[in-house]
Amino acid sequence: MITAMRATRCGLNVFLIACVAWTAMAAKHVLAEEGPRDVVGKTADTVVGILADKALNADQKRGKIEDIARQYFDFTTLSRLVLARHWKELNDEQQNQFVNEFRRHLSLTYGKNVEKYDNEKAVITGDREEKDGDWTVNTKILRPSGEPFLVDYRLRKRDGRWMVIDVVIEGVSLVANFRSQFQEIVSRDGPVKLIQILRDKNDKGEPLKS
Amino acid sequence: MSMRLFVIWLVLSALALPAIAQDGDDHDPWMPFNRAMFTFNDKLDIYVLEPVGRGWNYLMPKRVQTSLVNFFDNLHGPRVALNNLLQGKPRDSASDVGRFLVNSTVGVVGFFDPASGWGMPSHDEDFGQTLGVWGVPSGPYLVWPFLGPSNPRDSGALVVDYITSVYWLYAPYTATIPMTTVSTVNARAQALETVRQLKEASVDYYAAIRNGYLQRRRALVEDRRNFSEEQSEELYKLEDDKE
Repeated sequence: MITAMRATRCGLNVFLIACVAWTAMAAKHVLAEEGPRDVVGKTADTVVGILADKALNADQKRGKIEDIARQYFDFTTLSRLVLARHWKELNDEQQNQFVNEFRRHLSLTYGKNVEKYDNEKAVITGDREEKDGDWTVNTKILRPSGEPFLVDYRLRKRDGRWMVIDVVIEGVSLVANFRSQFQEIVSRDGPVKLIQILRDKNDKGEPLKS
Repeated sequence: MSMRLFVIWLVLSALALPAIAQDGDDHDPWMPFNRAMFTFNDKLDIYVLEPVGRGWNYLMPKRVQTSLVNFFDNLHGPRVALNNLLQGKPRDSASDVGRFLVNSTVGVVGFFDPASGWGMPSHDEDFGQTLGVWGVPSGPYLVWPFLGPSNPRDSGALVVDYITSVYWLYAPYTATIPMTTVSTVNARAQALETVRQLKEASVDYYAAIRNGYLQRRRALVEDRRNFSEEQSEELYKLEDDKE
């Protein structure tokens, strides 16, 4: 009887140890892999850190944030989603041009925000897996002046890394908005013309290098 | 045809329309009219509202502007509470009643907003959203001169919104116009940067505003921040993976 109990206890101990070891391994695995929540959290912290850094001027801040965006935003998938069925109407080189000009457009227009930073903070409020394996991370942007607003990031795994493929601000998706904007131009003049329009707009908006 | 009859006609014709499929292409059958109205509003903004807003922003300290936002927000309190109740959200509605009472008294007729700090946040509800919750289709996108983006359902609902706001309790009917003017100018002054950025960041400003309005409105009616399964698939599935 006692032997049996001891055996059970021993078995339980082994089981417990196995469980702990497995959990630890799993945790290590997750950490090494950097989940979508970590990606958004780390990116937000780094960006806020750069914006709040008084030692940097606006151009330096813009440059640093652009580097982070390149690292964590999947501009190719973003471009494909925005162009939807028109993506295939472009050849490889044109596709590259589009991705490049679209990325430039985003960084030029949104990059101007660095001068408007007013101590906003990002807080992660939740995350969930989507049906197609994507991951959505919910954040709340707290502002010293005015109501907070909600920003959701949708991430997709590419080459083993989670990257942002859409930003949804208060229910408004960036991908859907640009898709709608490009729709008319593309169906009237074709996607090649759109690349030209973007390039012209970018060349005009390029801040002068001092 | 009087304005009211016209609105009623629009609402009725919207009701007769089948529910619009929520696909990626924004449904806009009245685009020629809408674009003309949009251009008119944009010109009005460029030549009148934006400069006035700039002046207002220069003259009025930020704190005064925030207080005015609070004041006008508070006037909509009863409307918000009523619509939350009509949408079957009694808890939110109760919070709105509490918010209105606190901000009208402790908050000095609404110029301050202590309620937000006490767990009674501001909600954005109107009768157009209530109709949406009840299953009334919005009808096509519609741009009004002066009022901007809307749709037949929400245009009709404005009458109910007007009655259920408490402007008319506070002040005589004639005070509506000066109050609306101050509220509009103040709101425009608050949005100077946002609008400038929005114009700069868009390749087709009309489509950007239309899509932004449609998406935002849908999110408000549905009170949720994630997309439905169909919307999600339409938006995030790559063409190659579609059969």
